[in-house]
Amino acid sequence: MSTKKTHYPEIPRKNLGPGWWLANRHYTVYMIRELTSFFVTAFSLIYIYQVYRLASNPGTYSQYLDTVRNPAMISFSIVALGFTLFHSVTWFYLIGKIQPIKIGRKKTSPLLALGINTVFLVIISFAVLQLFIVGK
Amino acid sequence: METETATIRVARYRPEKSEKPYFQEYKVPYRKDTVVLDALNQVKAEQDGTLAYRWSCRMGVCGSCGANVNGVPKLTCATFLHEFKGKSLTIEPLANFPVIKDLVVNIDDFMEKLLKVKPWIIRDKQSPPEEGEYKQSGKELDRYAQFSSCINCLLCYAACPIYGLNEDFLGPAATALAYRYIADSRDQGKKARFPIVHDLEGVWECTLIGECSVVCPKGVDPMLAIQKTKILGAMEAPKTMLSPEALKAILPRGGE
Repeated sequence: MSTKKTHYPEIPRKNLGPGWWLANRHYTVYMIRELTSFFVTAFSLIYIYQVYRLASNPGTYSQYLDTVRNPAMISFSIVALGFTLFHSVTWFYLIGKIQPIKIGRKKTSPLLALGINTVFLVIISFAVLQLFIVGK
Repeated sequence: METETATIRVARYRPEKSEKPYFQEYKVPYRKDTVVLDALNQVKAEQDGTLAYRWSCRMGVCGSCGANVNGVPKLTCATFLHEFKGKSLTIEPLANFPVIKDLVVNIDDFMEKLLKVKPWIIRDKQSPPEEGEYKQSGKELDRYAQFSSCINCLLCYAACPIYGLNEDFLGPAATALAYRYIADSRDQGKKARFPIVHDLEGVWECTLIGECSVVCPKGVDPMLAIQKTKILGAMEAPKTMLSPEALKAILPRGGE
């Protein structure tokens, strides 16, 4: 019997291409979740800048109102709000996945964490809005 | 039981015959209880003996029959043919691994990573057998029990885009097994495993896509293991940074 071995080449590992996140619905949702952070950051930066300008020069208030009433700014705010909500909901769900709440020996569904966090979000948002309205 | 016929499309790579991979179609009879692995066995036994694939137990325990079925990593022994009635059915080797032949992939990379995380109980000092077993409560067992169900089938690696993009990533199963021992109350190997799991290519590469946990056929949640390891590492970091060794390295030395 011959002991000579022939080694044939393997098909090398294929690295994923730039469109990998379109291959499966879960990947796409993940990518959207990551992209939403751009809108969360952009909105926060614009907001901080506006507050900074108002604080340093209260005379610019009418200018500020013009900016936020601008249709482009309103559209951006609506888009940013939608993405921020998506961002929050997906992360709330992940909290439940990463730190599952245990009741007895049973683990609760991540949906519970999503529910609890959403309730807190609504309460805190409402409290902040009240503060603004009362503070006016 | 009623027998029907399905057409399966199987990825072939026969380097001794052709350099290029190709697809080959086979018509296979199936019943309600026929799984994809049965279909492959039918092809191998009665139609084409050259078809190569791995399998052993046929019951979801050995973890050797994984393949990408219609693009989704699955154990072929646990995937029924009737689920694809009226749809096309393509069987390919597990993604993200080099292919040796047909559906057989080279898993050396994972085997090296598995060894690296030292998947066994490490003790500072072994106690002699006369002292009896290391005791553990049910609660302590619960902390890692699910992660010990991993069968190294590598579906999680085939599903993980991070591993798909970066071969050096430690990956889901190796981390799940590392955590299985880190979370074990009898283990004292944290010091040995932390430099590996918290390496640049370790758990911090994971960006929470979670597909590893979706495809796991044993109900293991590798994504959870990775995040738990991150939490442990983050809690350990201040201690490490303030350790005498670390301070010695950064503080100016008087008189030197």
